Amino acid sequence: GDLGPFNPGLPVEVPVWLAINLKQRQKCRLIPPEWMDVEKLGEIRDQERKEDTFTLMPSPYYMELTKLLLNYASDNIPKADEIRTLVKDTWDTRIAKLRLSADSFVRQQEAHAKLDNLTLMEINTTGAFLTQALDHMYKLRTNLQPGESAHSQDF
Amino acid sequence: MSEAYFPVGPGLGLEENFLSLDDILMSQEKLPGRAESTLPRLAFALGQGAGTGDAIPEGSKLEIPLWLAKGLHDSKRRIISVELPKIYKEAWRTVFSADANVVDLHKMGPYYYGFGSQLLNFDNPENPEIAQTILQTFISRFRRIMDSSQNAYNEDTSALVARLDELERALFRAGQKGLNDFQCWEKGQASQITASSLVQNYGKRKFTDMDG
Repeated sequence: GDLGPFNPGLPVEVPVWLAINLKQRQKCRLIPPEWMDVEKLGEIRDQERKEDTFTLMPSPYYMELTKLLLNYASDNIPKADEIRTLVKDTWDTRIAKLRLSADSFVRQQEAHAKLDNLTLMEINTTGAFLTQALDHMYKLRTNLQPGESAHSQDF
Repeated sequence: MSEAYFPVGPGLGLEENFLSLDDILMSQEKLPGRAESTLPRLAFALGQGAGTGDAIPEGSKLEIPLWLAKGLHDSKRRIISVELPKIYKEAWRTVFSADANVVDLHKMGPYYYGFGSQLLNFDNPENPEIAQTILQTFISRFRRIMDSSQNAYNEDTSALVARLDELERALFRAGQKGLNDFQCWEKGQASQITASSLVQNYGKRKFTDMDG
């Protein structure tokens, strides 16, 4: 899409990669997203702890945005340290929850699950492990039914 | 390097993967059996006699690798019959169902799952129970593998994986990789370009070559 026009002192929306590049060249100041706020993140964390399922995150890339903004523009973000702690807490809560649900998923030998509010970063860190484990489990389970494949060995 | 290298994985079903190194190693494991008919000139090959011409008499006990047992086995039991190894028998199955987490699956046979799945080829009447036990063992050990692989960051994991079977070790490594990659990214190491480990080792070797 088109960007700009760029005027000094006026807010303008740009992709994160450009914002960080400009920030590194000391050509701009970053404005943190609305949700990157100690009070709001505290609410999100408490909500996450209260519910059994995953709650909707303020941004599908909350982890990535927090990390990039805090690394490159922490001087533009009020209470950066508290925000870092809050986001880390939320992440830990969600990962613990993910493990708990993965365990009960495996125990009940389910074949599908719905994980609407997980973010890509969360899915990716455990995804390879989980799919591999379920793949093994599927194969071990098909061993239970001696189907037509059992007879292909006959001579 | 590891991204561009795709080894053939184990089969884990009733059929092995022909080119899987893991499966070839797995099918080397010995299986207790009994000769149902005389096997001429095979005593030496199977380690039962000294002379090359000796025959194996009918009914003698044998220890045969799984691949050979599979080749000789027939549902009409004319050549050999196969017994279950003791860890797949009822006594051990009860132990597994009590608490699968305490069992040292590496000592029990590093290919517990793969070997057990292959055993189902021998039409044993206990097949459903064996398959059920293998599945349940995996399910009850799953949580431990997941937790230990995702919590132990940058630690020495040899104590953790010492009791895991080969299949579980591969799973453990997958979990570790996910965790390590994420932590690298979080610390900002992913954005730094480092020399490949291959190049680094190459440099070292050249250096020692010059010394010697």
